[in-house]
Amino acid sequence: MSIPFASAEWIAAYKDAINANPAYKTGAANWTYGVVALIVKASPPAFPDDTGIWLDLDRGVCRDARLVSPDEAKTAPFCITGDYTRWKQVVKKELDPIKGMMQGKLKLKGDLTIVVRAVKASQELVNSTASVDTEFAE
Amino acid sequence: MKGNWNRIVKIDLSSGKSEDLSFPEDLWRSHIGGSGLGARIYNDLAGGLPEPLSPETPLLFLAGPLVGTSLPGSSRFSVCARSPLTGIWGEGTCGGNFGPALKMAGIDGLAIVGEAPALCYLLVEDGRVSIRPAADLEGRDCYETGDLLSERHAKARVACIGPAGEKLVKFANINNDKGDVIGRTGMGAVMGSKRLKAVVAKGSRKIEVADSGAFAELRSFLLGRIKESVPADSLRSMGTDSNMDLGMMIGDIPLRNWSLGENFELAASLGGPTMTERFLVRSQACLYCPIACKRVMRVAEGPYAMEEGPGPEYETCCAFGTGILNADAAALLKANELANRLGMDTISLGGVLAFAMDCFERGLIDEKEAAGLKLSFGNVEGVFTAMKLIARREGLGDLLAEGSRAAAKRIGRGAEELAVHVKGLELPFHDPHGFHGMGLAYMMSTRGACHLQHLVHPIEQGIVAFEGVGLAEDYEGRTSEGKAAMVKIAEDLGVPCNAMLLCEFVGWAFRPQDFASCLRVVTGFDFDLEEYLAAGARIWLRKRSLACLMGAGSDDDVLPPKIMRPYAEGIAAGSVPDQDLMRREYYALRGLAADGRPSREALEKAGGLEDMALRLHG
Repeated sequence: MSIPFASAEWIAAYKDAINANPAYKTGAANWTYGVVALIVKASPPAFPDDTGIWLDLDRGVCRDARLVSPDEAKTAPFCITGDYTRWKQVVKKELDPIKGMMQGKLKLKGDLTIVVRAVKASQELVNSTASVDTEFAE
Repeated sequence: MKGNWNRIVKIDLSSGKSEDLSFPEDLWRSHIGGSGLGARIYNDLAGGLPEPLSPETPLLFLAGPLVGTSLPGSSRFSVCARSPLTGIWGEGTCGGNFGPALKMAGIDGLAIVGEAPALCYLLVEDGRVSIRPAADLEGRDCYETGDLLSERHAKARVACIGPAGEKLVKFANINNDKGDVIGRTGMGAVMGSKRLKAVVAKGSRKIEVADSGAFAELRSFLLGRIKESVPADSLRSMGTDSNMDLGMMIGDIPLRNWSLGENFELAASLGGPTMTERFLVRSQACLYCPIACKRVMRVAEGPYAMEEGPGPEYETCCAFGTGILNADAAALLKANELANRLGMDTISLGGVLAFAMDCFERGLIDEKEAAGLKLSFGNVEGVFTAMKLIARREGLGDLLAEGSRAAAKRIGRGAEELAVHVKGLELPFHDPHGFHGMGLAYMMSTRGACHLQHLVHPIEQGIVAFEGVGLAEDYEGRTSEGKAAMVKIAEDLGVPCNAMLLCEFVGWAFRPQDFASCLRVVTGFDFDLEEYLAAGARIWLRKRSLACLMGAGSDDDVLPPKIMRPYAEGIAAGSVPDQDLMRREYYALRGLAADGRPSREALEKAGGLEDMALRLHG
């Protein structure tokens, strides 16, 4: 059954998907740099409110994933912000998140020197969404 | 017209005579400046097509309209001549501070002909150009030469050659401020052939712009865009080598003379983050640049200890790293310093060294020929020795100093299969296995394999997304479909950027119309995006026409055998560019005939190319 994107239920399923992805476990084995937060900007009426997603990642494991306020998301060491439509493109694999960040379609806050070394991990983080049956409101 | 002085000083080193040249405004408008203008006036100055290292060959040092105006990225200058490495149109640009110094000295450039009776340098000071003796500089490396001339002429900027230029190494470069170089196509050898050790520029004249209010507004807007740009941030924090790790993942990094598809450990050991952590002292900016991508580095101790100085750029990290399987980053820094001092283009030098190692390991060069040198992959000590031999043109170095195309021809026995060049210019280190469009760009660049005179690299890799010029939103690297159109648009955007001497990295943060706006507010010419792109097409056709007149044709628009051989591993495994498809489509878009020459119709349609139409078609 489809789960609405960026809902608490979706985030829980996403956490399970990350932890079930062996490629993420390998690719992110050296990730010790803390939380990655995502902010999904509102796009009413399909997605009415700015929403934060908190991913506590450590050595290839997602230890915790939860819905947070955008303000709390901004306190994470790494925070990626994008419009609802951009995140939809990312989840549907129509937009590579690294390219999206380079082109300014997704905004990154955090240490770039760490991010560029973690490209494999970030790609697998995105690939993990493929196993979550995601519903996007139009 | 503002932004240009409309004054190029022609100086004959044989006779010592000089004269001022000026040109109609429509010529500046149609060819912009820098290498665009250079290609336009080359024909008139040369009075034919003299051999690259003959006294008659004009050597052009050129600024552009933006240079010295304080627009971000406007510090560059260009040097053009017929290339001794390729035999066709040659050129290079570099940043630093020399370009603005030349412009502030009151001229737009120098057209240097003849051959000095003894080693000399040119002093450009407040509008005057004089020839000075340089006997005391003979054999000095670029760092020493720059320091000595800077001491002699306070507040001056120096562009000089090293021992390799004096010895006419075919890929000798021109060095400015130690770390900024006119690297490609052997312009340093042309200087050497004229016995010109350096050009020293000094001046304080203000460059007037046409609309100071609009200029200030545009400048502020562009600085804001650069501040928000992630690629600019990446360049600022890690230098041009910032993408080595990502590049390995997406199939952009060549390994072992273009024969392996993947080595993540090597990329991690040589990538921007590691280099920054281990060696960075501080970053450094060219004049007017808010990015500061240049690295000042130091190796504190060990066999490759190096005093504080310019660190390697991305291309050099491949040239002396991935391309020759050297994982020792400290040795790489030292090799970069040695190449800078000797005055050699690190891209061509790296390509030549990798080629020589391939030949050595296959028995095409033996230890006797190499004077006891073991030129095997990963042998860094062999690299240092080979570099010195090349710069001095001693032993095997004399052969390698000719470049990989000529060396392969002389070695024979299949060595041509190992030489990785287009039209004699060694490939820069972005891999066409992973990015077919870059392969086409190498094939069709007017100076041989080039990654800079177009914006293919950032466009095809998705680093930028220019809207409103016919580009797709996203490109798949490992396909050849649609790449001809992409490359043509990327060239039409990038060629004028190069001609006005704007730094490409700064341009990555621009919208397409911003390039035209820069020209408009500075010159007063009513440039819009359409005219800007048309100028790009015109300049490309002119340089292509010159290259054809110098002997290039469709047979030369090919990728080297190494690129047409698929890798067995990595993300680009099995992928090779469909060069026939891309070339066919590209020829149609550019209006090239089957022999590779621009058609009369294409030249007439572009406008301002009547001289080329006459020379090519009668």
